[in-house]
Amino acid sequence: MDPILEGRQLHTRRQFFGRSVLGLGTAALASLLGRDAFGAGLLTAGRKGVPGLPHLPHFAPKVKRVIYLFQNGAPSHVDLFDYKPMLRQWHGRQIPDEVVGGKRFSTMTGTQTERPVLGEITQFRQHGRSGAWVSSFLPKTAEIADDLCFVKSMYTEAVNHAPGITFFLTGSEMAGRPSLGAWLSYGLGSETEDLPAFVVMTSRDKEASCGQIFYDFYWGSGFLPTKYQGVAFRGSGDPVLYLSNPAGMSREVRRGMLDDLAHLNAIKREEFGDPEIATRIAQYEMAYRMQTSVPELTDLSREPESVLAMYGPDVKRQGTYAYNCLMARRLAERGVRFVQVMHAGWDQHRNLNTQLKIQCEDTDAPSAALVKDLKQRGLLEDTLVIWGGEFGRTPFLQGKIDEVKQWGRDHHPYGFSLWMAGAGVKPGFSYGATDEFGFNAVENRVHVHDFQATILHLLGLNHEQLTFKFQGRNFRLTDVHGHVVKPILA
Amino acid sequence: MFNPWTLARPVLFAAFLAGGTQAAEKIDFNRQILPILSDACFHCHGPDPETREARLRLDQRDGLFRTREGVTVVAPGQPDASELILRITSPHEDEVMPPRKVARQLKPAEIDLLKRWVAGGAPWGAHWAFSPPQRPAVPVPADPQLAARVSNPVDAFIFARLEREKLAPAAEAPPETLLRRVTLELTGLPPTPAELDAFAADRSPDAYERVVDRLLASPRYGERWAWDWLDLARFADTNGFQGDPERTMWPWRDWVVNALNANMPFDRFTIEQLAGDLLPGATTEQKLASGFHRNNMFNGEGGRIPEETRVENVFDRVETTATVWLGLTFTCARCHDHKYDPIAQQDYYALFDIFNQLSETGRNQGGGQVPPVMDLSTPAEQERVKRANAKLDALARRVDAFELKKFPRPEGRPVADSPDAIKLPGNLYATHAKVEPRRRNINGLLEALPHFQATDPDPEYAKLLEEHIAAVRERDNATARITRVMIMDELKERRETFVLTRGSYEHKTDQKVVGAIPALFRGAAEAGGARARPAHGKIAGPSGADSPPAAAPGEPRLNRLDLARWLVSPGNPLAARVTVNRAWQAFFGTGFVKTAEDFGVQSEPPSHPELLDWLATEFVARGWDLKALHRLIVTSATYRQSSRVTPELLERDPDNRLLARGPRHRMPSWMLRDQALAAAGLLHEQRGGPAVKPYQPAGIWEEATFGKKTYQQDHGDALYRRSLYVFWRRIVGPTTFFDAGARQVCTVKVARTNTPLHALVTLNDPAYVEAARVLAQGALATATDDSGRVDQVFRLVTARRPSAAERDILLRRLATLRGQFAADPKAALQLASTGEAPRPGSLDPVEHAAWTALCSLLLNLDETLSRE
Repeated sequence: MDPILEGRQLHTRRQFFGRSVLGLGTAALASLLGRDAFGAGLLTAGRKGVPGLPHLPHFAPKVKRVIYLFQNGAPSHVDLFDYKPMLRQWHGRQIPDEVVGGKRFSTMTGTQTERPVLGEITQFRQHGRSGAWVSSFLPKTAEIADDLCFVKSMYTEAVNHAPGITFFLTGSEMAGRPSLGAWLSYGLGSETEDLPAFVVMTSRDKEASCGQIFYDFYWGSGFLPTKYQGVAFRGSGDPVLYLSNPAGMSREVRRGMLDDLAHLNAIKREEFGDPEIATRIAQYEMAYRMQTSVPELTDLSREPESVLAMYGPDVKRQGTYAYNCLMARRLAERGVRFVQVMHAGWDQHRNLNTQLKIQCEDTDAPSAALVKDLKQRGLLEDTLVIWGGEFGRTPFLQGKIDEVKQWGRDHHPYGFSLWMAGAGVKPGFSYGATDEFGFNAVENRVHVHDFQATILHLLGLNHEQLTFKFQGRNFRLTDVHGHVVKPILA
Repeated sequence: MFNPWTLARPVLFAAFLAGGTQAAEKIDFNRQILPILSDACFHCHGPDPETREARLRLDQRDGLFRTREGVTVVAPGQPDASELILRITSPHEDEVMPPRKVARQLKPAEIDLLKRWVAGGAPWGAHWAFSPPQRPAVPVPADPQLAARVSNPVDAFIFARLEREKLAPAAEAPPETLLRRVTLELTGLPPTPAELDAFAADRSPDAYERVVDRLLASPRYGERWAWDWLDLARFADTNGFQGDPERTMWPWRDWVVNALNANMPFDRFTIEQLAGDLLPGATTEQKLASGFHRNNMFNGEGGRIPEETRVENVFDRVETTATVWLGLTFTCARCHDHKYDPIAQQDYYALFDIFNQLSETGRNQGGGQVPPVMDLSTPAEQERVKRANAKLDALARRVDAFELKKFPRPEGRPVADSPDAIKLPGNLYATHAKVEPRRRNINGLLEALPHFQATDPDPEYAKLLEEHIAAVRERDNATARITRVMIMDELKERRETFVLTRGSYEHKTDQKVVGAIPALFRGAAEAGGARARPAHGKIAGPSGADSPPAAAPGEPRLNRLDLARWLVSPGNPLAARVTVNRAWQAFFGTGFVKTAEDFGVQSEPPSHPELLDWLATEFVARGWDLKALHRLIVTSATYRQSSRVTPELLERDPDNRLLARGPRHRMPSWMLRDQALAAAGLLHEQRGGPAVKPYQPAGIWEEATFGKKTYQQDHGDALYRRSLYVFWRRIVGPTTFFDAGARQVCTVKVARTNTPLHALVTLNDPAYVEAARVLAQGALATATDDSGRVDQVFRLVTARRPSAAERDILLRRLATLRGQFAADPKAALQLASTGEAPRPGSLDPVEHAAWTALCSLLLNLDETLSRE
């Protein structure tokens, strides 16, 4: 469908429904419900979705939904995507001071006097027609190289995980600002009523070697109303907290209870006139629907074996990265706006030689399968997939060069890589570059705020105009910075 | 004729707040013009010199009325000679203001208003909130009937305004509604049937006032109001961030409850929490109170640069202080002069200097008990640590002996020296092989166990590792339980404070700053020259507290105690206002100033400015007496109105800012839980002490911490303690609460939203299901017939009896439920056994389950969930 036309229709629909359906509870909903005391009419009237702000999107979007495969802990760009022959040549020799330029590092290497260059521990080869360099640790990703748009000149400001991740996801290093997904559900609303607009799923490496924690402010709503915060699907048990009826209460019993609850609430509304009561009726009805839609979402019995196989052996195990990638596709199909899949375990300070390979094995097939799967279903045409961490890793060694087993790399904010795939970005394209040591982003540098501005742009949003007034100031995701990276746009 | 009702809503609302529906053209600069100038112009023509364009300042009188090179910005009475008006109406792209590329454009109605303001003589005034509150005369409603309903001055202001709006207040709410409202409001718990009966029977004219006095005197009062303060104070039971170690700050929480119950005057409440440790001869309690500013998060992430953490903590203290006692956002001024409010970056760092003198280093020491701390441990706690250590020692010796066989190497050498150690992955090599068993930590052990299980199945070793994990956990738990409260102190050798470029701890400028109150509050004369020089003599002491000289004579640098005293002195125009506003917000859902966190130039003008100032001055005149303030509000006729609303009134005043009806809101989730426990008779009213861990779905902590923290649910009475005492892990708060402050940063206003996820909590959380089934037990045990039982439960949760129609619906539902559960007695028993509270074996499970479902329905009624 023509996105502009669609945008216009959406706009008309929004005008009709006003901003009433959630939270604001205005007279519009009251009058709608007045025609149907139980509110069922409202919810089955064929309308799909929850409106966002009336004047959005600002322009025709290329992307309807985003799946962000966030790699917590910071994957080593110089071992995976950013091939620098210099590193092997200089292996073991002190990295030149003029490259480091007195920059700060975490306390783990901040005081280390020796900073020998560490050659990549993997093998690089070019792939596809685009000739993208991809590490031997990521064979499946290499297969889809021509679908990927690499940014190899990312840089950020944080040197530690929590601030770094918070910066990527909220635009600020300090916790408490709305996250990207919250901004999107606030601005654009949702295309589904049966599922949350913003879903988060987390997993970690099997060895639990890293200590990074998934803080809820990674998907928080900050000063936006809490209904915009991400809903974290759990890795075990009910994916949504308290989704299941208590033991012994059947769906029929619950249905009957809710019917009378709505009835009693409707009586109250008639008598009291508070439109919030109408909202309450809708709220309980939506909860009931979620009790159906979520089990349907997680029921994999209809997935063909061939599809499951692509995602790898862990795909049926709830709480794994593979399972979450498949679930991301299923959520995207059902109209969820923003899916944030987070996988921890990339923080190889002293176990690069053992852990990086395992980490790649766990994530390579599922990430690639997701892109392929979306593509074969035509969903990649309006879905954007992003793969990346909060920073990169030092091209020099953390540890001692003769203690091979304990080789590692420290946090590195000055240049690193990520990739995107899908709607709106050039496939088989690589943008920007670091210097010959993979140390500093030097060519077409992309700051985190630029990256965020670009994502918003793809969704039809001007990052300078998606704002929320709080404490007297109009806040936005990109603070007061950010430029759309136009050269990567398709 | 100007009719504001025909305009777009934001402007309409500004006019509406200003109290005028008529075009009698008395434009109030402060409330109507300043917000427009601030929002649309100050970014480039405001306080921040860095971004100021054309050397033009519109935030000051001089700039606004300036004439330069023959051009006058604003010429009173002459819109056509005013450059400001010419610019905002200019048809030329290169002339028009704001520039077209800027997001914030003026609306036609705003342009019109600015024109009329200039035409009307352009009256000017400084932002209202920066001048001290002036006590206004109490108005008298013209209508004698209305005047007769005035219960106290609160009503006089509210009614006078309603009269101007041609609205009338609603009738008083029915007694049971009123009793439920005020009881929940003041104590956080619902009234009992006996209290309802007594109130209904009490015909004396002061029956309500006596109820209010009873509630204010109840120890539950402090427990209820502590919640709001804990949100401001970002109180939690853990540090937050990596590892999220546990704290023992609960004695501070109990201090707050006790202070509120004792009705400690708010000025003293302030001083003791900000600077109790600096009071001469500070008592243990006063030092404890100073823990307020140790409640912030603490980032002890591995690799973290301590100074970065320390500086961030100081930022948090500065900004929290500004939010709580000034209602101002200082955050912007961390990096540059404020864009809207007259707060310079220097002002920020002058406050920073005051909080920069804590001995905290930023280093991650002591887990959740980062020095300085005050030891409040008991012998029992110390004994537990001793025992845990002894057990760990014994176990470590066994591990050592076993490993000597398993990883052969010379005795006295670490496992790393064994040839087998090379097989271990890098992490384990470091945390396991190189470390002697006694010193291994929980993280390494948790990694080791699955590794050995996967690569080297050796049941004996695995068992030993499991025991080792248990012993280390117990040692860690015991150590973490030693009660040490983080408090404030003051370095002997003061840290020098420099303005930081863009707020970066690494980039000190050479601009040295010393502790001072913001220039804005120092008066015009001082603001110019001696910027940092405080007006010592003008800093008044708190009521009742002794007030020695603030600092050494000749010492120009303010410390925390000076600041605390100033905050509650007449020199600060904001503390009483923001406090009164927050109270109003708690009772009516929205404060006079809707942006309770911001009273700056960009804030929304107050709905009832005179009442706000009257209450602020009254509050101070009564000695900062919080209970008196609460009493004044809840005994007003305004508060006692029915919350029923007509379609006309709803359209006229959808958000109830004018208060022609009583407040009606969904209660906070913590209060809902307390209400359910109380209605069921489950509530265990034990006051104070360490936090408790009630029901929580399995795996929440484990998932968030990679299995490093396990939630060990409590049993027995602890399950039924008030929500205030529920353990708050900062990185993953208690799941039973929704729309709650995250306790990560200072929160002044929590959201009130309605999502399906919230409905799932009150429908399915075992805490609520258990309350339903215990409610059912109570009903089955006391009342004699179904109607009586329905009435009983209905009244426990709503304070009233159901109407015939409502009763009828419920009885029919009951019949259906009976049929449904009779068909599945096994399911019936499951439902009727939810939770750990005892269940009489004699109860018929089918009957019990049917009633449980019915009670669950009643616990989810909109009326039950709302304070009506």
